[in-house]
This record gives sequence, structure tokens and C-alpha cells, in this order.
Amino acid sequence: MLVLGIETSCDETAAALVADGKVVLSNVIATQLDLLQKYGGVVPEIAARRHTELIGYVIKEALDSAGKTLADIEAVAVTAKQGLVGCLLVGVAAAKSLSYSLRIPLVGVHHIEGHIFANLLSNPQIPMPHVCLTVSGGHTMLVYVQAYCRYELLGSTLDDAAGEAFDKIAKFLDLGFPGGPVIDKLAVRGNRKAFNFPRPLLKTKTLDFSFSGLKTAIINAFKHRIGNGETLPLEDIAASFQEAIVDVLVAKTLHAALQRKVSTISITGGVSANRRLREVFSETCRQEGIEVFFPELSLCTDNAAMIAAAGYARLKQGEADDLNLNVIPNVPLEVQVGG
Amino acid sequence: MKVLGIDTSGYTNAVGVADGNRVLADFTFEARHDSLEKIVANIDFVLKEAGFGLEDIEGFGVGLGPGSWTGIRVGVTVGKILAYSTNKPVSGVPTLEVLAYQARSMSALICPIINTGAGDTVYAAFYRTKDGTVSRTGEYYVGDIQGLAKMVKEPVVFVGAEVQAYSQLISQALGFPDGIRAIKDVPKGATVALLAATRLECEENDDVLSLAPLYLKESTAKAFVNKYSRSAQVKD
Repeated sequence: MLVLGIETSCDETAAALVADGKVVLSNVIATQLDLLQKYGGVVPEIAARRHTELIGYVIKEALDSAGKTLADIEAVAVTAKQGLVGCLLVGVAAAKSLSYSLRIPLVGVHHIEGHIFANLLSNPQIPMPHVCLTVSGGHTMLVYVQAYCRYELLGSTLDDAAGEAFDKIAKFLDLGFPGGPVIDKLAVRGNRKAFNFPRPLLKTKTLDFSFSGLKTAIINAFKHRIGNGETLPLEDIAASFQEAIVDVLVAKTLHAALQRKVSTISITGGVSANRRLREVFSETCRQEGIEVFFPELSLCTDNAAMIAAAGYARLKQGEADDLNLNVIPNVPLEVQVGG
Repeated sequence: MKVLGIDTSGYTNAVGVADGNRVLADFTFEARHDSLEKIVANIDFVLKEAGFGLEDIEGFGVGLGPGSWTGIRVGVTVGKILAYSTNKPVSGVPTLEVLAYQARSMSALICPIINTGAGDTVYAAFYRTKDGTVSRTGEYYVGDIQGLAKMVKEPVVFVGAEVQAYSQLISQALGFPDGIRAIKDVPKGATVALLAATRLECEENDDVLSLAPLYLKESTAKAFVNKYSRSAQVKD
């Protein structure tokens, strides 16, 4: 079954064709990087305007680059849950229109479920059940994946998402946007032990995260030096900051795996592209006898291939939505509304 | 040429079908916050009631706004994707022109008014009628009612969903209240279809994939970012 996936929940306008939930035939992502850099972050109204301009082109490109036509699409899956409401609705309006005019099934997907499927697309051998850490600029969550489409939320961030902390620290240090790649790059040349930044909630049993205190600690430690025009040891700050985040993410995820007695961990989302994160997870999991999986880099950040894969799994379970499908900007992963 | 017209720019949404200058179906429905939920299902409803399928439609008309930014994105996206996926032409029609056209029998200058949702600020324009058509006489207006009233130098018919709420303000601001009339009206899908059909029959198609709403206002983000951000200075 050939599924067209559409994703517009935040700042990427994306469409992809995936065959049988497994084979990615095309994965088109129009980033709004120019706008993000101009405005220093996502501005919902501006992002929604850009989605409206791009959505048709992105869908056409997903077909053209796969050598397929509209008549080949057998179902359409779209991110309908979790995201910016004005952005989500552009994708859902497009998906409904295609479902109606091509007379093909429509299925709305939760954005986080999409991220879980990004790793299953890259690594179909990931066993069930497993613990999934999904971590990006918009969310940081630990999910117990009991089976396909059956989830339990174990913990999530109480304030900033991990990727958001990268963005905010990069903005504070005037390194540009997004913060993840630039800090990853700087950190390679820095000393990870130069500064002992706080590791929030590390010593507690909770599986929730908190990163805003870490961000504030760094800002308080250096704002006067910035004000005095001093040159900061950016590499060392980047490396030490990144180490603090990675330590927390790795410790909590392993704790969750232990608690749930699973021997498999899946890491997804934009931050899963971070090299130090991959290194520490791989090393720690090797020592603990746990298997860890990462998606290929093209599936880490928001994309529509993961939405097509998740939609396919839902369709296989006999689920579909009708033309009244609406967007739900904020809904827990476990709650499947109208599905 | 059978054309499907839609408009989702306001609190009332509209779907209609016209063939040449004949109205075949027309349906308006309230959609304060649920345009997305209702529009495609209501297109299906209207086509079925009229005895058609989507395959009978030869072109699409879309109300471009101005109006609710979220609302017009729904209509424009649905219109362009339906046109793209059925390989049929599309024409965008400014919603102010739709309102003016619906008042074309009035022998006066016509001024459609659409609420911006931000205080007393409105979108407006002036249209003259000639041979059953309307044509805009100047630039689009975005501003308060008092400013709009200052532009009026002759008897005018104001038209729009909330125009009666403004009529007293307008009369106060004008020296000749007797020349003012206010007609409460909402954009109709059939009017969008008629105006789009006229354009499409002259091959005045819009590019399907690049069809965009008529916002008439920038996002407020630009000013906000310039005020608060240290590193991002927005340049035009």
C-alpha cells in the first residue's frame, strides 16, 4: 500500500511516499530555516503562511521524485495531533482534500507517534516492547512502546524541551539558530569537564525532565562576562552544557528501561542526531547489555515519511478518519481521539 | 463551465456551484472555529444535493480573504489541493469583491467592510458597478472606521457581516448621513463561483500551487521580534 504522508506541525513543510510502511520512496522537507534565522525561532503565524505557500509544491515533489502520480496514492496520513494549531491545519486541509478527490482513506497521526515510527522505519528489527526517548526542540518524552500503536507515557519535560535548551543557549551565546548542530560542532573541540553545570532531576527517581534551570544557570554564569565584552570559551561551554544534557537523557532513559525490564532502547527526534548523545548512549548501553537504536539522520528531524509509516500501521489496524478530521494541538500520546 | 466556489474567510463559510451565470447550488453555514472540520464534508454535501460529483466540476473558485487568517488558509489550501488533484483550473477571488458583487444592483459607490478581529480596525475597498460587474476604484484599506469615513465624498452603500455595527460610527463621522446605507451580507459560495467562472472562461487562471491568501496585513511578529530579540534584527 502506497501512503502519502504530510507533516506541517511546526516549521517543516513535508510530504513523503512510503510503501507498505517500510520503503521510503521519497521524503521531501521544505525547511523554514531562513525564517527561523531571521526571527530567531518559530513564529506560528509566519510558519503557517509559509506552509500554505509550500504545501502543494511539496506534495508534487514527493510524487515526482518517487516517479509516481496522484493515481498511485492509496491512502493519505497526516499529522493531526500535537503541534501549532495554525500549522497543523494546513496539512490536514490538504490531506482531506486529497482523500476526498482521490477517494482514498485518510488517517490522522499523533506527531510523537510519527517520531517513534521514524526509528522503526530505519530499524524495522526493533523488538516490542521497548522504551523510546523522543527528544527534539518541541518535546522530550520517555514512552513505553508496548506494541505498534500502544503507548504509555513514562515521563516528559516539566519545562523546556532538550532541543529548546540547545536553541536558547545558542541564542544567548549569539551562535544562531537552530542551536543543536552548532553546539554539537563547537563541543568537539571543547573540554566537557571545564564547567560543572547542573544536571536537573538526575538524582531523583522521576522519569520527568527539566532543563530550564540548566539554561538559567549558564545564563547567570556568563551574562556579566558578555556584558563586559569578554571573549567566552565557547567550545568549553558548549561541551560542558551538552554533557549535562546528555548525562540526564542517558540516565533517565536507562532508568526507564530498567524499571520496565526491557533490553531495548529507541532514540528519536531532532536531538537524536547529536553525536555526543549517540556516543554516550552507545557506550553506556553496551556496558549495560542493552540494545540501542537511532534513526538515520534524514529521519531524525520532523519529516513526513515517519507520518506515512505511522499512518500505515493505524490503517492496518482498521483505523481511519472521515472528512470531519480536525486538529488537536495538545493531546497526550495515549489518548487516541476518534481513531 | 461548472465551477465550485468556496469561502472560509469569516464566521460564515460558504460553498456554491455555478454554471456560466447560473447558480446551481448555494450553501452558507456558521463556522466560527471549525472551518477545517466542516468545509470538505460540506463541499461533498452541496455537490450531492445538487446531484453532482466532484468529477463534474470543471474549475474552482476560492475566496482569498481578507478575513480570518486561519480561516482563509483552510479555504485556499482546500481549493488549491482540490484543483491540483483533479487537474482543473483555479481562480482566487478577493472576498471584498464578492461582497461588492452581491450589492451590485445598488446605484452608488459600494464599500464592502470586513472586520479584522482587532478592535475597530477593518479591511475595506470601494467598488463601482458597470454593466453588472464591479471594479475596485483604489487601494485596499486597512484601518479604523473613522479613517475610512474620511475617504467618503459621495453616497455610499456599505456591505458586510457586521456593517450595521459600524453604521452609526460611519454616520457620525460623515457630514451627509442621509446618503449612507448599510447592507448586512456575507460572502456566498455561488458568488465566488460566478466570479471565478467569469475569470476562468477568459482563461484568467491562477497558478494552482502558488495560490495564496490575501492577508492585507503583516504578522505582528516582525515588530515584536525587533523590539525584544538581541540577535535577530529583522530587515525587510
